[in-house]
Amino acid sequence: MKKHHVVVIGGGGTGAAIAYDLVKRGFNATVLERGELTSGTTGRHHGQLHCGARYAVADREIARECMEETNTLRKIASESLESNYGLFVALNNDDEEFAPTFIDACLESGIPAEKVPRKQALRMEPKLSEKIGTVVQVPDGTIDAWRLPLQFFAGAQEGGAVIRPFCPVTGVDIEGGRAVAVRIRNLIQQQDERIEADLIVNATGAWASQITKFAGIDIPITPAPGTMLAVRKRLCNMVISRLHPSGDGDIIVPQRGLSIIGTTQYKTDDPDDIKVPRADVDFLYRCADEMVPNFSKQPFHAAWIAARPLAGKSDSIEDGRGLSRDFVCVNHAQHDAVHGLISVIGGKATVLRAMAEKAVDAVCHELGVQEPCTTTETPLPSHRRYYRQGVK
Amino acid sequence: MSAQRRTFRIMRGGGPAGSPAALQTYSLELNEHATVLDALEWIRVEQAPDLMYRHSCHHGSCGTCGMMINGKPKLACLTKVDNLASNDIKLEPLVGMEPLGDLVVSPVALMSAYPDNSGYIRESEVNNDAPRPQALSQFERFENCIECGLCMAACPVDEEFQGPAVLAALNRELAKTPERRAEILHAAGRPDGVYRCARALECSRVCPTAVYPAKHIMELRKELEKESSAK
Repeated sequence: MKKHHVVVIGGGGTGAAIAYDLVKRGFNATVLERGELTSGTTGRHHGQLHCGARYAVADREIARECMEETNTLRKIASESLESNYGLFVALNNDDEEFAPTFIDACLESGIPAEKVPRKQALRMEPKLSEKIGTVVQVPDGTIDAWRLPLQFFAGAQEGGAVIRPFCPVTGVDIEGGRAVAVRIRNLIQQQDERIEADLIVNATGAWASQITKFAGIDIPITPAPGTMLAVRKRLCNMVISRLHPSGDGDIIVPQRGLSIIGTTQYKTDDPDDIKVPRADVDFLYRCADEMVPNFSKQPFHAAWIAARPLAGKSDSIEDGRGLSRDFVCVNHAQHDAVHGLISVIGGKATVLRAMAEKAVDAVCHELGVQEPCTTTETPLPSHRRYYRQGVK
Repeated sequence: MSAQRRTFRIMRGGGPAGSPAALQTYSLELNEHATVLDALEWIRVEQAPDLMYRHSCHHGSCGTCGMMINGKPKLACLTKVDNLASNDIKLEPLVGMEPLGDLVVSPVALMSAYPDNSGYIRESEVNNDAPRPQALSQFERFENCIECGLCMAACPVDEEFQGPAVLAALNRELAKTPERRAEILHAAGRPDGVYRCARALECSRVCPTAVYPAKHIMELRKELEKESSAK
C-alpha cells in the first residue's frame, strides 16, 4: 500500500506530537516551521504541567483530560518534567468560600486533590505567605517547554518524519477543491520549493488564519498574548496557585533555578506584533508577592510575552478569558468545501499528545485509514536524540 | 524612559546555500528593557522577514539563542541592549558550531558529544528535607545545564577537547550514577578529556545558568588522581 504523505505546518508542541502520532500510524510526515522549532508560542510557556485542577470548576471534561495526559506524559517523557505536585493556596475569604467547590470539582474530575494542614504546607514550602489559609495539594508539575516537544520531534524523526525548521510557507496549491501542495521558502538553502501532500494539517496555533488565508478560508482564531516574569531563585519545588477562579497573575512555576509568575491575557490581531506591557511586570510582582512574599526581592531574570491561540472570535470579550481553552479540530472539507486541509486550533501544552491523537484521528478519517493511536505507552527518545540522529 | 535608536550589524548568509557571510546594518528604536532577542524579533517583523536566528523560550531555559554579541558568547534573550557598552552592536553566529546561515548554528556536534544515557533530572537542592507529597521520594528538577554551547565557544583550548559542557555533564553523571564510575572516569581521562583544560575559567564566566563547568572539570581531575594513587 502506498504510504500517505501528510504535511504538518507548524513546528510547535502540537505539530511535534502530530508528526509523532502520524509516523506511529504508518504515515509519511513532513513538518514545516517558519523559524526555529517551538519559536512561536510553545517554547515561551511558563511550563506548568496542568493536572487539570485549574479547569475543574468550569469544565470537568477538560480537567479529566489534563489529569490523564499528565499521567501519560510522566510515563512517556519523564525527563522533560519536574513532577513535584502543586499547592493551591487560599489568601482571603473569597478564596475560602471557593475552596469546597474547587475540591469537589477536582475529585469529580478524577484529580486526587487533598487538603494539607496549613502548618504542614508551610513546612513543605517555607517561602509561602504566612497569610495562607486552606491549602489543597494536586499533582501539577513543570514542563521543559523546549525539551518536551523535542522528545516528540525525536520520536517522529526516528519513525521517518522529516522536520524542516526555517521553511516558511508561502502558499497552498488548491486543485479541484483540494489542497494538494504547500509552497515554501527554504531559508537555509535559499530556494523555493513545492511539497506535494495527500493531506495538510495546519498546526500553526495563533498563526492559523495566516495559513488558511492561502486557501481562501477565514478561521476563527484569537491570538491572546500574555506576559510572564522570572526571577533568579528557585523559591519553591511545587507549583503554587491561587485558590480562586482562573485569573491573571495567579500561578508561580518553579523551573531549574528560576521562579516564574504568570500570566496576563489580552487579545490581539497580529501574533507577531507583541511587546511586554511594562505595567504587567509591576502587576505580576505584586501578585507573586501575595503568595510568596519575597518573590519581588529576588534578582530579575526575564520578562517575556507569548501569543496563546484561543479558538473563536472574541469581538465582544474584553480580554479573551471567556474564550474556551479547549482544542478544536476543523476539517475544511466539511466547513469550507476545501478537501485535504485540517486546522487544529486552541488547546494547552499539557494535552499536546491528546490533541495530536484527535487530529490524526481526523486525518485517518479523511484518508480512509484505520489505524489506532499508539502514543500513550512507549517512552519517547531523549531530547538530544533529535540532534544526535544527525539533522541540522 | 524614552526609546533610543540603536544600530545592529548582523551577519547574514554564510550557510550551505553558498552566499558569502556579510554584515548588514539595521537600526530601530528600543526602550531600556529590550533584550537583543527582542530587537531581533522586531527587526524580523519590521525589516527583514527572512532573517534567521534560533530562539524558543525567551527566558534562558532552552539554550537555543546563543550567539556572539560584540564578539562575546551570550544568550540573546538575557542580554539587555542597554547593558552593552557600545551603541553599535555586532551579532554573529556562535563560534564552535557549524553555521547554517545568518545567526543559525547546528548543535548536532554538541548534542552528540554529551555522554550516552545521561539523564536530565536531578534532586532539587531546595527544601528536600521538608515533608513531601506521599508519592514523591524526592523533589526533583532539571539539570542546570541548558546545553547552549556558550562555554564551548568561550573555551580557549584549541586542541581536540571534549569541552566544558560535556565534561561537566560527565561529572553530574558521576554524582548521580556512581555505578558508572569506571566508564565515566575513563571518558574523562582520555587525551581529549580533563587534562586538556588550561584553567582559563572562561566557561564558568559565560555560563548563563551557573553550572561552573571549570569546577566540574577540577572535580573529575581529583577523582582521576584518587584512582591513580590507589593503583
